[in-house]
Amino acid sequence: MEWVIFGVLAFWLLVSVLGAVLVKNPVHSILFFLSSVLAMAGLFLSLGAELLAGLQIIIYAVAIVVFYVLVITTIPWEKVKRFEGVYKKELLFGIPVVLVIFLLMGSMVLRGRFAQPVGVVEDNVREVGRTLFTSYLFPFEVASVILLVAMIGAILLGRKEE
Amino acid sequence: MTLEKAYILLSILVFLIGLLGVIARKNLITMLVSTEIMLNGVNLTLVAVDKVLGRVDGQIFSFFTLTVAAAEVAVGLGLVVAIFRLRGYEGSSEIVHLRD
Repeated sequence: MEWVIFGVLAFWLLVSVLGAVLVKNPVHSILFFLSSVLAMAGLFLSLGAELLAGLQIIIYAVAIVVFYVLVITTIPWEKVKRFEGVYKKELLFGIPVVLVIFLLMGSMVLRGRFAQPVGVVEDNVREVGRTLFTSYLFPFEVASVILLVAMIGAILLGRKEE
Repeated sequence: MTLEKAYILLSILVFLIGLLGVIARKNLITMLVSTEIMLNGVNLTLVAVDKVLGRVDGQIFSFFTLTVAAAEVAVGLGLVVAIFRLRGYEGSSEIVHLRD
């Protein structure tokens, strides 16, 4: 049963990711990306990470995708038409490189062994919250500084030149 | 082949497809979308290994990845719009100068 769920979600994810990379129109590419985010949230749910699946939908599917679409609407459409799609030569040279890297990494994953499991997570959300606010408290605070710096940078980049 | 290894293989594939998109896309905005796909692939590895080990540290790293992704979108789209305004509308391989 787990294999069936994995197969369906993996097929959905791969189709939408390939569509996002190869399709011509930028808006269609972002819609394919939205579909891949939903498939990824399903995979997180099947792995038992409920909180991360919810955050994935809230942050990616709502905030980031809407932001992309808003930025695309500010760009004049006729001028973007000239560079839609992919560069053919780069794609032809990139596919063998990517395949070789996939074969190397995949053979390493298939031959390797996992470390010994150290415990069983009973309640995912409670365990994540406890670990986040005890062991990872300082990185959590630093993450807020990253968001603040990104906000200031976006304001600086977006202002009109005098 | 166990289920967790299949998850890790899937995430490697997603990461590499995103890399292909960064290499080959013509439009700067869709290049940023491919970067998001790469980040998503790394997240999937972290969560899959979490399932094996019975810990939650990988999910916490994924939260930080989500934070970085949000910051990257804000700054990256600001940069793209600034490039479009300063240098006109160009494909990703035509932008080769740091400044005029």
